Amino acid sequence: MSDLFTSAEKHLKSRHRSESRFRWMGRLAIGFSLGFLAIMLFSIFMLGKGALSRAEIALPVDLTAETVDQSDIEATSFSKLVRNTLFETFPEVTDRGERRRLLGVVSADAQYELKRQVLANPELLGQVQTIWFTASDDIDLYAKGEVDVTLPEDQRRLKDLELGWLNQLEVNGQLRSVFNKAFFTSGDSREPELAGILSALIGSIFSLMVCFALSFPLGIMAAIYLEEFAKKSRWSDFIEVNINNLAAVPSIVFGLLGLSIFLGVFGLPRSSPLVGGMVLALMTLPTIIIASRASLRSVPSSIREAALGMGATQVQSTFHHVMPLAMPGMLTGSIVGMARALGETAPLLMIGMVAFIVDVPQGFTDAATSLPVQVFLWADSPERSFLEKTSAAILVLLGLLIVMNIAAIVLRKKFERRY
Amino acid sequence: MIKNPIITARDVNVFYGQKQALNGITLDVPRNKVTSLIGPSGCGKSTFLRSINRMNDLVDICRVEGEIKIEGKNIYDKDVDVVALRAHVGMVFQKPNPFPKSIFDNVIYGPKIHGMVKSKSDAEEIVEQSLRRAGLWKEVADRLNEPGTGLSGGQQQRLCIARAIAVKPSIILMDEPASALDPIATAVIEELIDELRQKYTIIIVTHSMQQAARVSQRTAFFHMGDLVEAGATKELFTSPQDERTQNYISGRIG
Repeated sequence: MSDLFTSAEKHLKSRHRSESRFRWMGRLAIGFSLGFLAIMLFSIFMLGKGALSRAEIALPVDLTAETVDQSDIEATSFSKLVRNTLFETFPEVTDRGERRRLLGVVSADAQYELKRQVLANPELLGQVQTIWFTASDDIDLYAKGEVDVTLPEDQRRLKDLELGWLNQLEVNGQLRSVFNKAFFTSGDSREPELAGILSALIGSIFSLMVCFALSFPLGIMAAIYLEEFAKKSRWSDFIEVNINNLAAVPSIVFGLLGLSIFLGVFGLPRSSPLVGGMVLALMTLPTIIIASRASLRSVPSSIREAALGMGATQVQSTFHHVMPLAMPGMLTGSIVGMARALGETAPLLMIGMVAFIVDVPQGFTDAATSLPVQVFLWADSPERSFLEKTSAAILVLLGLLIVMNIAAIVLRKKFERRY
Repeated sequence: MIKNPIITARDVNVFYGQKQALNGITLDVPRNKVTSLIGPSGCGKSTFLRSINRMNDLVDICRVEGEIKIEGKNIYDKDVDVVALRAHVGMVFQKPNPFPKSIFDNVIYGPKIHGMVKSKSDAEEIVEQSLRRAGLWKEVADRLNEPGTGLSGGQQQRLCIARAIAVKPSIILMDEPASALDPIATAVIEELIDELRQKYTIIIVTHSMQQAARVSQRTAFFHMGDLVEAGATKELFTSPQDERTQNYISGRIG
């Protein structure tokens, strides 16, 4: 009896070894991919978290009647006001070149910030007020500790002169770091300290709405027709092959198509989320059709037979029984397609969504850009401060992706039925 | 031969692409009786069954020649609406296939799409009556809102029968209705078939000769696409005329 279990022992051992070897290889592969994902997310987060805060400088602004015309605030030169404030705060600076450097301490937007505050709170007028101004990007980096002050002076953008001023401001408590709300509430800017993600985010959301509204109904209708109604013929094979080929077409080609047809022939507005969404819809359509067809195929044919056997028409059988069962798969496929569309840059470049957009788009025909394009634009900018903006924009993009995936899971759970 | 048959099939040929599956079948089906179609796998008995409610239309490459008349009307005529035909000729499949909906919705689906339900009380009445006829009422009366897929295999099959009779057909086709069930559930179904023949004409495809002998009054034996022999069940099993029938029922072929 014992012979029965021991005779193959040697062979068995090597079989077990190969099995455990394979298991470990699998675990290693998963570990590697998860590790790289974690490293990527961590590094993006570490780079991007700086964009969540920004430095501000407090300056005592003379808002008495001598400088501001109380009856006509609009007429006041706020840029002069800011300039004078800075010169008075640092009276020892007299050299023209140094004075110009001093003006660069606050953001180019400082005069408008001051104007906005005064217009919003007229009670500030009449006395000397301490106003917080957004610091320029170099100061911002310094405040975040990202400027290496031990470098020789000629190798850094902040000279000893500015470091001296900053030192003075810090000592007097005139330098602080606040949550950078503007990053989420304003559009792009040439000044890194003012640049925000909102216009790109809204552009992306508008484009995706157009993309979904076009590609989802078209895609599932095409899939349902091809899978449930169309007779198998040479034509249906031809169409199937072509849909599969379309899914593999490089996305920039769809951009060219959009450029020549939507912009060139139809004359739709350039750079608009409408055209962007249409181009993305073209790109997403084959993905949705393929996923939806696979999902329809996985519905057991016994359900169709049951419905048709009762005298349901083909349409009733499809829409009452088959489609509800295929819906989770269709939705998942669509969201996967949409997620791909969200991350797409190339086709949008072709239709002009690469523009520098400061204003948040108000509608589908306004000029807009999209998140990945914004990432691309910022990554291309020379100012070092855009580095953290780039990473933060990527985080926003990833966040949107996660939201979409969660939506897919929730919808799938909601529609899922056993059969 | 049979007086006042409900179905008369004349010279029915069925092709799947180039392949001929049925060769000139001519068969009369008697009213309010159970007719069983027997034969080895691939003999064409299911194909013939599916020709009676035109389920074969769903197969792109399938082509039917000849005529099948139900109550004197050829169902392959151009003016015949398959939807109306299938309301008249119900079908129960090999594998129980309730919809992934509640028991109530399963039964009421057919009457609803055929516009037979006017009110909620109508619906309740149809559901109760159908489930009673299918012998399932007592078991599910208190859980009509639970999914039909949660029932046991035998119950599911009776639910499918209830669903079929809810549209008030005159003919019910059954494609090996008990082959996926255990012997006890099978016995329940067979009993039910015997009761149902009071009101319906039933045609049942079965692999089991014992089942054919138990439930049917007439039997037709198919072999390789031919209808070899048809007759009263008792006679066919006791004194088959054809050698192939004899070989099959004695277990030598099939």
